[in-house]
Amino acid sequence: MSNQTLSLTLDPVVPDFLIDQVQSKMAYLDESVQRAVVCPDGSCMTLYLVQELDLAAQKTLEEKIHRVLTAMVSGALKPRIKILEDKLDRKLPFNKDPMDTLLETGGVYKEGKGMYVLGPLVASLVEYFNRECVDLAGSFEARPYRFPVLISPELLERVDYFRSFPHSLNFVRHLREDLDKIETFAEHAHCENGCLVAPEETQSDIEAMLSPAVCFHLYQALSGTTLDEGVKATAVGHCFRYESSNLTSLTRLWDFTMYEVIFVGEKDFVLDNREEGRKRAQKMYERWGLAYRVESANDPFFVGEFKKQAAFQSAFQLKYEVRAALPFLNDTLAVASYNYHQDFFGRKMEITAPDGKPAHTGCVAFGLERLAFAFLAQYGFERKTWPADVRRALKGI
Amino acid sequence: MAEVFNCPSSEISDTISFGDFQAWDSLSHMDLLMTLEDRCGLELDADTISELTSLDAILKTLQEMNHE
Repeated sequence: MSNQTLSLTLDPVVPDFLIDQVQSKMAYLDESVQRAVVCPDGSCMTLYLVQELDLAAQKTLEEKIHRVLTAMVSGALKPRIKILEDKLDRKLPFNKDPMDTLLETGGVYKEGKGMYVLGPLVASLVEYFNRECVDLAGSFEARPYRFPVLISPELLERVDYFRSFPHSLNFVRHLREDLDKIETFAEHAHCENGCLVAPEETQSDIEAMLSPAVCFHLYQALSGTTLDEGVKATAVGHCFRYESSNLTSLTRLWDFTMYEVIFVGEKDFVLDNREEGRKRAQKMYERWGLAYRVESANDPFFVGEFKKQAAFQSAFQLKYEVRAALPFLNDTLAVASYNYHQDFFGRKMEITAPDGKPAHTGCVAFGLERLAFAFLAQYGFERKTWPADVRRALKGI
Repeated sequence: MAEVFNCPSSEISDTISFGDFQAWDSLSHMDLLMTLEDRCGLELDADTISELTSLDAILKTLQEMNHE
């Protein structure tokens, strides 16, 4: 780990509502950047670097920073934050980072960047939250689906993912169907600094990617159809989002588990069910004793698309996040979301609602590892302080 | 509008609105409003973004701006 830093004055100044977003995007500036910290008033930034940069490299980096700031900050609209529920003042018995104890006791094992083996306690919490979500989906009579972890590039292209979230993409390749190339690979493949090194010509084109979302697969399955009635579906799946140096602890995994209840149909059908999902989820959070707030939010669009799409999402209140308290940071973490996509996917995937118009879509989604992490951050490891429902569910673990 | 939506002006009817016209989607909606901001001085905020979703609403707002 290098201790080289670069301090910069920012122009334009980053407004407080954009500091987190700008900071996280800095991870994608250049491979020399380990981490960026924007100062609280947004006027300066410290970059932590892998190595010292020469003047030319520093100038290039500064130009990239200017591009990011121009794209994200200049003319950005302050989002209209709407709070639907606020239970952040719940009294909590724990205020330490649970990762310390989890790593020390083998509760989790770090396998690589953003990759963790979950031990029995965390795995059982994930399973418990999953069961609770299954019950929630059952209350809607949502029909179960199972989706692949792979996704076709064509599908991601069709829903504009390459333009909106290029930074988080993950690619799948296999060896070419050619005996010579497979033997060449077997002879030369090895690892250096944790990465596979193998002759490029042995590897296939990219015909599959790792899926970044659960609900896209349902829209693909419904593509080209006209619905007789609104669809309620449910699925749990792995989502893969590369987040560079932002991949730290269980709060941000490269591969995480998302439980979703998905609604497809006419506008009112989707909005009514999303709202009903929010209300029913309140009862789950109550059982879990969760300290949280539900507030409007936007997706982490990449630099070029950020300003427009974030403003649009905010103005139409398309996304709400459930942000759980992390007492040790005096901060919150998004653990679930309530999403409405208008007719974006209906148009892109040619799904027609019963009224003959492009279908509207929405979902309620829960990040299971993040829920487990937030629970441990709020209640710690002393079972007697846990809410009774959770204690009962994990009895014997 | 035809320029932003990249379509012939004959396709722009008096009743055109966001959600009912194929080319008027979330991204082109923002492109349209940013063009109006540049060329007509429209002030962009959450209200204008969520309310100016029809040609009728846009024309009324621009007329009100001219009267002020």
